Amino acid sequence: MLEHLLNLGAYLFCIGIFGLITSRNMVRALMCLELVFNAVNVNLITFSNSFDIQQTKGEIFAIFIIAIAAAEAAIGLAIVLAIYRNKKSTRIDQFNLLKW
Amino acid sequence: MNIFELSEPLHEILFFILEFGVIFGSLGVVLFTNIVYSAFFLGLVFFCISILYFALNADFVAAAQILIYVGAVNVLIVFAVMLINKPKSLKIFPSWTIGDKITFIICSNMFFLLVTVILNTSWFNITLITESKIFLNFNFTQNVQRIGYLLLTQFLLPFELLSIVLLIALIGAIVIARRENLIKINEKEKAPIEKNPTVF
Repeated sequence: MLEHLLNLGAYLFCIGIFGLITSRNMVRALMCLELVFNAVNVNLITFSNSFDIQQTKGEIFAIFIIAIAAAEAAIGLAIVLAIYRNKKSTRIDQFNLLKW
Repeated sequence: MNIFELSEPLHEILFFILEFGVIFGSLGVVLFTNIVYSAFFLGLVFFCISILYFALNADFVAAAQILIYVGAVNVLIVFAVMLINKPKSLKIFPSWTIGDKITFIICSNMFFLLVTVILNTSWFNITLITESKIFLNFNFTQNVQRIGYLLLTQFLLPFELLSIVLLIALIGAIVIARRENLIKINEKEKAPIEKNPTVF
């Protein structure tokens, strides 16, 4: 059961990294970032359930990660909206405003 | 302690359905061309993961997952998609470039490496060590009460820092997404209104 769930976390992490690298739309990159965060959370909850039933510290770390992910999504989508207003595009490879 | 006091085969069927949803939902997030489909598949993945947390005795995190991810983050992403999206191509799956193939090979290699590491680690020994401690002093308080107690005693400083981070993220998101020239437009609209009394 434990190895099964850890494999699921590894799968989610790898497919999140794959989407993060290959996606051309910035909103889709943010979605894949959320997938990576969820992979971390799945691992933490699994270990907390298996090895630390007494104190559930893994769940507290999962709550922290959920809060950070919510803040990250809000900031990221605000940046996407601001860039879309300026350049009329959400393609990642066209965002070279700060290029030396 | 388990919320789902299910029999073993029923438990396995539940896990199988949830993992099926997670695996195909995440594939749909990455591979679909239409980003609206991706957003809704992301909601499916979040929902399946939250039910998985319920089955793993983490009921508070499951509730937080549904409330924050499905209720807030996914709705925010759908809003951004609706504000931005311009549907262009009618193809369901995009064509892959060389970079995509290289990335796919690297990521699948990373996945198989992780799977071999997970399968070769002897988790059973760690379970034996920790379970000997558990039976010594196991307190039968609720999960939510334990989390609240730990958040306000041992993790008090990260908890307060997290509230500051959320406040800064809220203010920063409003400042970044606000339209800069809105104030100037209002000033331009005011100017002819002030001139009107002189005309009459």
